Amino acid sequence: MIERHTFRAMGTEIEFLVEADGAAGALDAAEDEFHRLEALLSRFREDSELSRLNRDGAVDAGPDLRHVVELALAARERTAGRFDPTIHDALVAAGYDRSFEQIDPWCQAPCLAPGVAGGAVSVEGTRIELDRGVRIDLGGIGKGYAAERAAEILATAGPCLVNAGGDIAVRGGRWPVGVETAAEPLTLELSRGGLATSGQDRRRWRRNGRELHHLIDPRTGEPAETDLLRVTAIAPDAIEAEVAAKSLFLAGAERAACEADAAGIAAVLVTGDGRTILAGGLAA
Amino acid sequence: MTSHTGRLYALAFALVAFFLAWAVVAAHPWTTTAGDPRLRALAVREAQLRREAKLVNQVVAQRWALYRSELRARRSQIAATKSTAAPSPAVRVVTLPPLTITRTS
Repeated sequence: MIERHTFRAMGTEIEFLVEADGAAGALDAAEDEFHRLEALLSRFREDSELSRLNRDGAVDAGPDLRHVVELALAARERTAGRFDPTIHDALVAAGYDRSFEQIDPWCQAPCLAPGVAGGAVSVEGTRIELDRGVRIDLGGIGKGYAAERAAEILATAGPCLVNAGGDIAVRGGRWPVGVETAAEPLTLELSRGGLATSGQDRRRWRRNGRELHHLIDPRTGEPAETDLLRVTAIAPDAIEAEVAAKSLFLAGAERAACEADAAGIAAVLVTGDGRTILAGGLAA
Repeated sequence: MTSHTGRLYALAFALVAFFLAWAVVAAHPWTTTAGDPRLRALAVREAQLRREAKLVNQVVAQRWALYRSELRARRSQIAATKSTAAPSPAVRVVTLPPLTITRTS
């Protein structure tokens, strides 16, 4: 029997599916883990560890923040800067300066100058230090991390799937997951690993008449301009999938398909002109 | 009475004048720093130490930058090894109805 549990955290809908009887304890513990991590990693909470780091420029951090920052920095290296946690100020400049539900979708205020990404972040022991003027956002990767942590907890009860607003972590079982395409939805069956979707079709708003979205290109400091509408990537875990989806999205359709094929990253690419490309060994 | 008070004033004045003279003599106002070879040597030594400190700081900064770049390379090596070592996810396209949906996060 599959037990389903949903709640809101990290500005999105979280869904747990677990194939077990009497999984209430594990479900509660996994939800608590989500809320705990949100309290540490949210840039919208004044008292979070991340906000303290962004405010003070340095902090003696706990293991979760350290680990997520290290994962984000490793991803920045691996993707040659396409994934970059230092886009905080660029997001703020674009108007994403508060929880998404609180953004006025028709705001008439002008956009601020594009924020610069790529600043230095160092992690030495328990100490995290940011260069002057550098602030970080761990929104996407934080959700992937939380999904993985929750899946670890749920897996003690049985095969499970955690869906954190599109970032999915799977432990055992066989889970059909729907993916929106340009035409009919596609169903992918996952038995392990992670899956994530990044795109410009949601989390959009207007500012002074300009259409904006939340996926910042660290090279320009502005919402990315690409011929892709959305990318779904499958990877060994939800964190990797999140990084791969963002990186492929910024690459553009043609290059993303080549890169996914070369790296063996199963991916569904949906273009703005209505094409769906399966890449990385995925076949209909 | 008057002459007694006068003597006291005179004594106080004499004491003040004596200590002022002492302070002036102790300050050696007739000597100049330029003329003292020990002070010149100290100034030279100070300049030399400043130059050496600057050089040491430059060497430390270079070594720190090298260490940071090697650390970054090592971390990306570790990350690459981890990603290749992790089991690839099992995925296939099916025709089943989905249990959940992934959307832009």
